[in-house]
Amino acid sequence: MNYQIKGSRVTACILLALSCLVCFVAAKSFTSMWVEERVYPVEEFQQKKLSDYFSGIKGTPADQPVFIQKGEEEGGTVLLLCGTHPNEPASNLTGVLFLENAKVERGRLIVIPTANIMGFSHNGPQEGHPQGYFIELADGSKRRFPYGNRLSNPIYQWPNPDIYIHPSSGQNLSGKEKSNLNRCYPGRPDGSITEKMAYAIVELIRKEKVDLAFDLHEASPEYPVVNAIVAHERSMELAAMVTMEIEAMGIPIRLEPSPKNLHGLSHREWGDFTDTMPILMETGNPSQGRLRGRTNEDLVVTGKDKCYSRAFDLGKLYIPYDGDQPLSLRVARHTNAVMLFMENLEFINEEKGLTVEGIPDFEEIVKKGVGHFLAASN
Amino acid sequence: MTLIYRGIVLFVLALVIRCIFREKDFWKQATGALVVIPLILRVLMLK
Repeated sequence: MNYQIKGSRVTACILLALSCLVCFVAAKSFTSMWVEERVYPVEEFQQKKLSDYFSGIKGTPADQPVFIQKGEEEGGTVLLLCGTHPNEPASNLTGVLFLENAKVERGRLIVIPTANIMGFSHNGPQEGHPQGYFIELADGSKRRFPYGNRLSNPIYQWPNPDIYIHPSSGQNLSGKEKSNLNRCYPGRPDGSITEKMAYAIVELIRKEKVDLAFDLHEASPEYPVVNAIVAHERSMELAAMVTMEIEAMGIPIRLEPSPKNLHGLSHREWGDFTDTMPILMETGNPSQGRLRGRTNEDLVVTGKDKCYSRAFDLGKLYIPYDGDQPLSLRVARHTNAVMLFMENLEFINEEKGLTVEGIPDFEEIVKKGVGHFLAASN
Repeated sequence: MTLIYRGIVLFVLALVIRCIFREKDFWKQATGALVVIPLILRVLMLK
Protein backbone atom coordinates (compact mmCIF):
# COMPACT_ATOMS: atom_id res chain seq x y z
CA MET A 1 0.00 0.00 0.00
CA ASN A 2 1.34 3.43 -0.93
CA TYR A 3 1.13 6.01 1.87
CA GLN A 4 2.77 8.81 -0.11
CA ILE A 5 1.01 12.13 0.38
CA LYS A 6 2.15 15.30 -1.26
CA GLY A 7 3.31 17.97 1.12
CA SER A 8 2.41 21.61 0.63
CA ARG A 9 2.42 24.90 2.54
CA VAL A 10 -1.11 24.09 3.71
CA THR A 11 -0.06 20.70 5.19
CA ALA A 12 2.97 22.39 6.77
CA CYS A 13 0.70 24.93 8.48
CA ILE A 14 -1.70 22.20 9.67
CA LEU A 15 1.15 20.09 11.07
CA LEU A 16 2.75 23.06 12.83
CA ALA A 17 -0.63 23.99 14.32
CA LEU A 18 -0.88 20.42 15.66
CA SER A 19 2.64 20.73 17.10
CA CYS A 20 1.64 23.95 18.87
CA LEU A 21 -1.43 22.20 20.30
CA VAL A 22 0.75 19.38 21.67
CA CYS A 23 3.13 22.00 23.11
CA PHE A 24 0.23 23.76 24.81
CA VAL A 25 -1.07 20.57 26.42
CA ALA A 26 2.46 19.51 27.46
CA ALA A 27 3.23 22.99 28.81
CA LYS A 28 0.10 22.94 30.97
CA SER A 29 1.15 19.58 32.38
CA PHE A 30 4.76 20.66 33.05
CA THR A 31 3.87 24.02 34.59
CA SER A 32 1.36 22.35 36.93
CA MET A 33 4.43 21.10 38.84
CA TRP A 34 5.83 24.58 39.38
CA VAL A 35 3.66 25.11 42.45
CA GLU A 36 5.45 25.05 45.81
CA GLU A 37 4.32 22.25 48.11
CA ARG A 38 1.91 23.51 50.78
CA VAL A 39 2.55 22.42 54.34
CA TYR A 40 0.67 23.29 57.51
CA PRO A 41 3.24 23.49 60.32
CA VAL A 42 2.15 23.68 63.94
CA GLU A 43 2.17 27.28 65.13
CA GLU A 44 5.28 26.80 67.29
CA PHE A 45 7.41 26.63 64.14
CA GLN A 46 8.99 29.88 62.99
CA GLN A 47 9.59 30.25 59.31
CA LYS A 48 12.86 31.52 57.88
CA LYS A 49 14.34 31.32 54.39
CA LEU A 50 17.41 29.39 53.27
CA SER A 51 18.72 32.66 51.82
CA ASP A 52 18.96 33.99 55.39
CA TYR A 53 22.07 31.82 55.66
CA PHE A 54 23.54 32.60 52.24
CA SER A 55 22.25 35.65 50.43
CA GLY A 56 23.61 34.36 47.11
CA ILE A 57 20.43 32.34 46.57
CA LYS A 58 18.00 35.12 47.47
CA GLY A 59 15.39 35.52 44.76
CA THR A 60 16.52 32.35 42.96
CA PRO A 61 14.58 29.07 42.55
CA ALA A 62 16.89 27.51 45.18
CA ASP A 63 15.53 29.67 47.98
CA GLN A 64 13.00 27.91 50.18
CA PRO A 65 11.39 27.85 53.62
CA VAL A 66 13.25 26.66 56.70
CA PHE A 67 11.15 25.88 59.78
CA ILE A 68 12.59 26.23 63.28
CA GLN A 69 10.97 25.31 66.59
CA LYS A 70 12.64 26.06 69.90
CA GLY A 71 11.70 24.29 73.11
CA GLU A 72 11.40 26.01 76.49
CA GLU A 73 14.41 24.14 77.83
CA GLU A 74 17.90 24.61 76.38
CA GLY A 75 19.36 21.62 74.58
CA GLY A 76 20.80 20.47 71.29
CA THR A 77 19.93 21.50 67.74
CA VAL A 78 18.79 18.94 65.20
CA LEU A 79 18.36 19.47 61.45
CA LEU A 80 15.93 17.31 59.52
CA LEU A 81 16.72 17.71 55.82
CA CYS A 82 14.00 16.07 53.74
CA GLY A 83 13.39 15.96 50.01
CA THR A 84 17.00 15.97 48.86
CA HIS A 85 15.81 13.65 46.10
CA PRO A 86 12.17 14.48 45.29
CA ASN A 87 11.57 11.00 43.80
CA GLU A 88 12.05 9.52 47.28
CA PRO A 89 8.69 10.46 48.84
CA ALA A 90 9.14 8.96 52.33
CA SER A 91 11.80 11.61 52.95
CA ASN A 92 9.59 14.61 52.16
CA LEU A 93 6.60 13.05 53.92
CA THR A 94 8.60 12.44 57.12
CA GLY A 95 9.52 16.13 57.17
CA VAL A 96 5.87 17.11 56.71
CA LEU A 97 4.87 14.72 59.52
CA PHE A 98 7.30 16.43 61.90
CA LEU A 99 6.24 19.91 60.77
CA GLU A 100 2.58 19.19 61.38
CA ASN A 101 2.92 17.34 64.71
CA ALA A 102 6.14 18.17 66.57
CA LYS A 103 6.09 19.92 69.94
CA VAL A 104 9.66 20.60 70.95
CA GLU A 105 10.12 20.73 74.71
CA ARG A 106 13.90 20.77 74.88
CA GLY A 107 16.39 21.99 72.28
CA ARG A 108 15.72 23.16 68.73
CA LEU A 109 14.37 21.32 65.70
CA ILE A 110 15.01 22.65 62.19
CA VAL A 111 13.03 21.13 59.33
CA ILE A 112 13.58 21.67 55.61
CA PRO A 113 10.85 19.62 53.87
CA THR A 114 11.83 20.22 50.22
CA ALA A 115 15.63 20.37 50.28
CA ASN A 116 16.11 20.24 46.51
CA ILE A 117 13.13 22.44 45.79
CA MET A 118 14.31 22.68 42.17
CA GLY A 119 13.76 18.94 41.77
CA PHE A 120 10.14 19.15 42.89
CA SER A 121 9.16 21.23 39.84
CA HIS A 122 9.68 18.42 37.31
CA ASN A 123 9.74 14.64 37.13
CA GLY A 124 11.63 11.98 35.21
CA PRO A 125 10.43 12.19 31.60
CA GLN A 126 11.50 8.65 30.74
CA GLU A 127 10.82 7.01 34.10
CA GLY A 128 7.03 6.98 33.81
CA HIS A 129 6.85 8.56 37.26
CA PRO A 130 3.63 10.30 38.30
CA GLN A 131 3.71 14.04 38.98
CA GLY A 132 2.23 13.49 42.41
CA TYR A 133 0.40 11.05 44.64
CA PHE A 134 -2.48 11.17 47.09
CA ILE A 135 -2.49 10.23 50.76
CA GLU A 136 -5.75 9.47 52.55
CA LEU A 137 -6.18 11.60 55.67
CA ALA A 138 -7.93 10.83 58.96
CA ASP A 139 -11.19 12.44 57.78
CA GLY A 140 -11.26 10.33 54.62
CA SER A 141 -10.23 13.21 52.34
CA LYS A 142 -7.14 12.99 50.16
CA ARG A 143 -4.13 15.26 50.11
CA ARG A 144 -1.79 15.55 47.17
CA PHE A 145 1.99 15.48 47.45
CA PRO A 146 4.50 16.10 44.65
CA TYR A 147 6.67 13.36 43.17
CA GLY A 148 9.65 15.05 41.58
CA ASN A 149 13.03 14.29 40.11
CA ARG A 150 16.35 13.32 41.67
CA LEU A 151 18.06 16.22 39.90
CA SER A 152 17.48 19.97 39.81
CA ASN A 153 15.18 21.10 37.02
CA PRO A 154 17.27 21.76 33.87
CA ILE A 155 15.33 24.96 33.26
CA TYR A 156 17.28 26.34 36.24
CA GLN A 157 20.62 24.61 35.66
CA TRP A 158 21.87 23.70 32.23
CA PRO A 159 24.10 22.53 30.65
CA ASN A 160 25.79 19.96 32.81
CA PRO A 161 29.29 18.82 31.82
CA ASP A 162 30.14 15.29 30.60
CA ILE A 163 32.16 14.82 33.78
CA TYR A 164 31.47 16.67 37.02
CA ILE A 165 34.71 17.36 38.87
CA HIS A 166 33.72 17.76 42.51
CA PRO A 167 35.28 21.13 43.40
CA SER A 168 36.67 20.51 46.88
CA SER A 169 38.00 16.97 46.30
CA GLY A 170 38.69 16.78 42.56
CA GLN A 171 36.69 13.54 42.40
CA ASN A 172 35.25 12.71 38.97
CA LEU A 173 31.53 12.01 38.76
CA SER A 174 29.00 11.62 35.98
CA GLY A 175 28.14 15.05 34.57
CA LYS A 176 24.51 14.96 35.63
CA GLU A 177 25.58 14.75 39.28
CA LYS A 178 26.26 18.48 39.09
CA SER A 179 22.45 18.80 39.45
CA ASN A 180 22.29 16.30 42.33
CA LEU A 181 22.20 18.12 45.67
CA ASN A 182 23.68 15.09 47.42
CA ARG A 183 26.82 15.18 45.27
CA CYS A 184 27.45 18.91 45.56
CA TYR A 185 28.33 19.32 49.26
CA PRO A 186 29.97 21.31 50.72
CA GLY A 187 28.87 23.52 47.85
CA ARG A 188 30.35 26.71 46.46
CA PRO A 189 29.19 30.30 46.87
CA ASP A 190 30.06 30.99 43.22
CA GLY A 191 29.16 27.62 41.71
CA SER A 192 26.08 26.31 39.91
CA ILE A 193 22.67 26.95 41.46
CA THR A 194 22.67 23.44 43.02
CA GLU A 195 26.17 24.00 44.43
CA LYS A 196 25.01 27.34 45.87
CA MET A 197 22.03 25.61 47.48
CA ALA A 198 24.35 22.98 49.00
CA TYR A 199 26.57 25.80 50.27
CA ALA A 200 23.54 27.52 51.85
CA ILE A 201 22.60 24.29 53.69
CA VAL A 202 26.16 23.90 54.99
CA GLU A 203 26.10 27.56 56.10
CA LEU A 204 22.83 26.87 57.95
CA ILE A 205 24.47 23.94 59.76
CA ARG A 206 27.41 26.17 60.73
CA LYS A 207 25.44 29.27 61.74
CA GLU A 208 22.73 27.41 63.67
CA LYS A 209 25.41 25.24 65.31
CA VAL A 210 23.52 22.06 64.41
CA ASP A 211 24.57 19.16 66.65
CA LEU A 212 22.87 16.36 64.75
CA ALA A 213 21.87 16.58 61.07
CA PHE A 214 19.73 14.09 59.15
CA ASP A 215 19.52 13.69 55.40
CA LEU A 216 16.59 11.38 54.66
CA HIS A 217 16.52 9.27 51.51
CA GLU A 218 15.05 6.22 49.84
CA ALA A 219 16.76 3.67 47.64
CA SER A 220 15.89 0.87 45.24
CA PRO A 221 15.12 -2.41 47.03
CA GLU A 222 17.88 -4.09 44.99
CA TYR A 223 20.50 -1.53 46.08
CA PRO A 224 22.73 -2.82 48.93
CA VAL A 225 22.56 0.41 50.98
CA VAL A 226 18.85 0.29 51.76
CA ASN A 227 16.99 0.11 55.08
CA ALA A 228 20.22 1.56 56.31
CA ILE A 229 21.86 4.26 58.38
CA VAL A 230 25.04 5.79 56.94
CA ALA A 231 27.11 7.52 59.58
CA HIS A 232 30.19 9.73 59.55
CA GLU A 233 32.94 8.73 62.03
CA ARG A 234 31.74 11.46 64.40
CA SER A 235 28.19 10.06 64.40
CA MET A 236 29.12 6.39 64.55
CA GLU A 237 28.81 5.88 68.30
CA LEU A 238 25.34 7.41 68.40
CA ALA A 239 24.33 5.55 65.23
CA ALA A 240 25.47 2.23 66.72
CA MET A 241 23.33 2.82 69.83
CA VAL A 242 20.28 3.65 67.72
CA THR A 243 20.83 0.73 65.35
CA MET A 244 20.83 -1.69 68.28
CA GLU A 245 17.60 -0.17 69.60
CA ILE A 246 15.92 -0.41 66.18
CA GLU A 247 17.03 -4.03 65.76
CA ALA A 248 15.75 -4.77 69.29
CA MET A 249 12.34 -3.51 68.14
CA GLY A 250 12.38 -6.18 65.42
CA ILE A 251 12.97 -3.68 62.59
CA PRO A 252 15.83 -4.80 60.32
CA ILE A 253 18.37 -2.08 59.62
CA ARG A 254 22.00 -1.85 58.51
CA LEU A 255 24.67 0.50 59.78
CA GLU A 256 27.18 1.63 57.18
CA PRO A 257 30.25 3.83 57.71
CA SER A 258 30.47 6.85 55.43
CA PRO A 259 33.25 6.06 52.91
CA LYS A 260 36.09 8.54 53.35
CA ASN A 261 36.86 8.73 49.64
CA LEU A 262 33.27 9.23 48.41
CA HIS A 263 32.86 12.97 48.18
CA GLY A 264 29.98 15.36 47.70
CA LEU A 265 27.56 13.42 49.90
CA SER A 266 25.97 14.85 53.03
CA HIS A 267 27.17 12.09 55.38
CA ARG A 268 30.78 12.80 54.35
CA GLU A 269 31.00 16.54 53.70
CA TRP A 270 28.75 17.77 56.52
CA GLY A 271 31.02 15.91 58.90
CA ASP A 272 34.26 17.10 57.27
CA PHE A 273 33.27 20.75 56.76
CA THR A 274 31.12 21.44 59.86
CA ASP A 275 31.01 20.35 63.50
CA THR A 276 27.71 18.48 63.18
CA MET A 277 27.11 14.74 63.45
CA PRO A 278 25.72 13.76 60.03
CA ILE A 279 23.34 10.85 59.51
CA LEU A 280 21.91 9.68 56.20
CA MET A 281 19.07 7.15 56.21
CA GLU A 282 17.58 5.02 53.44
CA THR A 283 14.32 3.09 53.14
CA GLY A 284 13.28 0.81 50.27
CA ASN A 285 11.23 2.49 47.53
CA PRO A 286 10.04 0.16 44.75
CA SER A 287 8.85 3.10 42.61
CA GLN A 288 12.43 4.19 41.99
CA GLY A 289 13.92 0.73 41.51
CA ARG A 290 15.05 -0.58 38.13
CA LEU A 291 13.22 -3.91 38.53
CA ARG A 292 9.80 -2.33 38.88
CA GLY A 293 6.89 -3.05 36.58
CA ARG A 294 3.97 -0.68 36.02
CA THR A 295 4.88 2.71 37.48
CA ASN A 296 2.05 4.80 38.86
CA GLU A 297 0.73 6.54 41.98
CA ASP A 298 -0.39 3.21 43.42
CA LEU A 299 3.18 1.87 43.28
CA VAL A 300 4.44 5.01 45.05
CA VAL A 301 1.93 4.66 47.89
CA THR A 302 1.67 0.88 48.30
CA GLY A 303 4.97 -0.36 46.90
CA LYS A 304 3.09 -3.37 45.49
CA ASP A 305 4.89 -4.83 42.50
CA LYS A 306 4.85 -8.36 41.08
CA CYS A 307 8.35 -7.94 39.66
CA TYR A 308 9.73 -7.13 43.09
CA SER A 309 7.90 -10.12 44.61
CA ARG A 310 9.64 -12.31 42.05
CA ALA A 311 12.99 -10.62 42.67
CA PHE A 312 12.58 -11.19 46.41
CA ASP A 313 11.81 -14.89 45.82
CA LEU A 314 15.03 -15.07 43.80
CA GLY A 315 16.97 -13.51 46.69
CA LYS A 316 17.87 -10.37 44.73
CA LEU A 317 16.58 -7.76 47.19
CA TYR A 318 18.15 -6.19 50.25
CA ILE A 319 14.85 -5.56 52.05
CA PRO A 320 12.25 -7.96 53.43
CA TYR A 321 9.55 -7.74 50.74
CA ASP A 322 6.22 -9.37 51.42
CA GLY A 323 4.41 -8.21 48.30
CA ASP A 324 4.39 -4.53 49.21
CA GLN A 325 6.41 -1.76 50.84
CA PRO A 326 3.86 0.90 51.85
CA LEU A 327 4.83 4.53 52.07
CA SER A 328 3.48 4.60 55.63
CA LEU A 329 5.93 1.84 56.61
CA ARG A 330 8.82 3.75 55.02
CA VAL A 331 7.83 6.99 56.79
CA ALA A 332 7.44 5.03 60.04
CA ARG A 333 10.99 3.69 59.68
CA HIS A 334 12.43 7.18 59.18
CA THR A 335 10.32 8.73 61.95
CA ASN A 336 11.12 6.02 64.45
CA ALA A 337 14.86 6.24 63.75
CA VAL A 338 14.92 10.06 63.95
CA MET A 339 13.11 9.96 67.30
CA LEU A 340 15.52 7.36 68.67
CA PHE A 341 18.51 9.44 67.56
CA MET A 342 17.07 12.50 69.30
CA GLU A 343 16.34 10.53 72.47
CA ASN A 344 19.88 9.14 72.56
CA LEU A 345 21.65 12.40 71.75
CA GLU A 346 22.01 13.33 75.43
CA PHE A 347 23.96 10.12 76.06
CA ILE A 348 26.67 11.47 73.75
CA ASN A 349 26.53 15.01 75.16
CA GLU A 350 24.40 15.58 78.24
CA GLU A 351 23.76 19.26 77.45
CA LYS A 352 22.65 18.60 73.91
CA GLY A 353 19.55 16.51 74.49
CA LEU A 354 16.38 17.08 72.52
CA THR A 355 12.83 16.26 73.55
CA VAL A 356 10.09 16.24 70.93
CA GLU A 357 6.52 15.25 71.73
CA GLY A 358 3.52 14.72 69.49
CA ILE A 359 5.19 12.41 66.99
CA PRO A 360 3.37 9.08 66.46
CA ASP A 361 5.36 5.91 67.06
CA PHE A 362 6.27 3.24 64.51
CA GLU A 363 3.28 0.98 65.17
CA GLU A 364 0.80 3.88 65.04
CA ILE A 365 2.04 5.13 61.67
CA VAL A 366 2.05 1.63 60.16
CA LYS A 367 -1.38 0.75 61.57
CA LYS A 368 -3.27 4.01 60.95
CA GLY A 369 -1.32 5.22 57.93
CA VAL A 370 0.77 8.38 57.75
CA GLY A 371 -2.21 10.38 56.44
CA HIS A 372 -3.91 9.97 59.82
CA PHE A 373 -1.34 12.38 61.28
CA LEU A 374 -1.29 14.99 58.52
CA ALA A 375 -3.30 18.19 58.33
CA ALA A 376 -6.17 18.48 55.87
CA SER A 377 -5.25 20.68 52.90
CA ASN A 378 -7.43 23.73 52.53
CA MET B 1 25.01 30.99 29.00
CA THR B 2 21.27 30.28 29.05
CA LEU B 3 20.57 33.08 26.57
CA ILE B 4 23.19 31.73 24.15
CA TYR B 5 21.69 28.27 24.50
CA ARG B 6 18.18 29.56 23.87
CA GLY B 7 19.47 31.50 20.86
CA ILE B 8 20.95 28.29 19.40
CA VAL B 9 17.68 26.41 20.02
CA LEU B 10 15.71 29.22 18.38
CA PHE B 11 18.04 29.11 15.37
CA VAL B 12 17.62 25.32 15.00
CA LEU B 13 13.85 25.72 15.43
CA ALA B 14 13.76 28.29 12.64
CA LEU B 15 15.76 25.95 10.36
CA VAL B 16 13.41 23.03 11.05
CA ILE B 17 10.32 25.16 10.32
CA ARG B 18 11.96 26.36 7.10
CA CYS B 19 12.58 22.71 6.13
CA ILE B 20 8.95 21.81 6.85
CA PHE B 21 7.72 24.50 4.47
CA ARG B 22 10.19 23.53 1.73
CA GLU B 23 9.58 19.77 2.03
CA LYS B 24 7.36 18.12 -0.63
CA ASP B 25 6.83 14.83 1.23
CA PHE B 26 4.03 15.01 3.82
CA TRP B 27 5.60 12.37 6.09
CA LYS B 28 8.91 14.23 6.21
CA GLN B 29 6.93 17.36 7.07
CA ALA B 30 5.25 15.35 9.87
CA THR B 31 8.66 14.24 11.12
CA GLY B 32 9.74 17.88 11.24
CA ALA B 33 6.55 18.79 13.10
CA LEU B 34 7.47 16.22 15.78
CA VAL B 35 10.99 17.62 16.03
CA VAL B 36 9.76 21.16 16.69
CA ILE B 37 7.79 20.12 19.81
CA PRO B 38 10.79 19.68 22.17
CA LEU B 39 12.48 22.69 20.56
CA ILE B 40 9.48 24.95 21.29
CA LEU B 41 9.22 23.63 24.87
CA ARG B 42 12.95 24.20 25.33
CA VAL B 43 13.11 27.69 23.85
CA LEU B 44 10.26 28.72 26.18
CA MET B 45 12.11 26.97 29.08
CA LEU B 46 9.06 24.89 29.89
CA LYS B 47 10.98 21.60 29.96
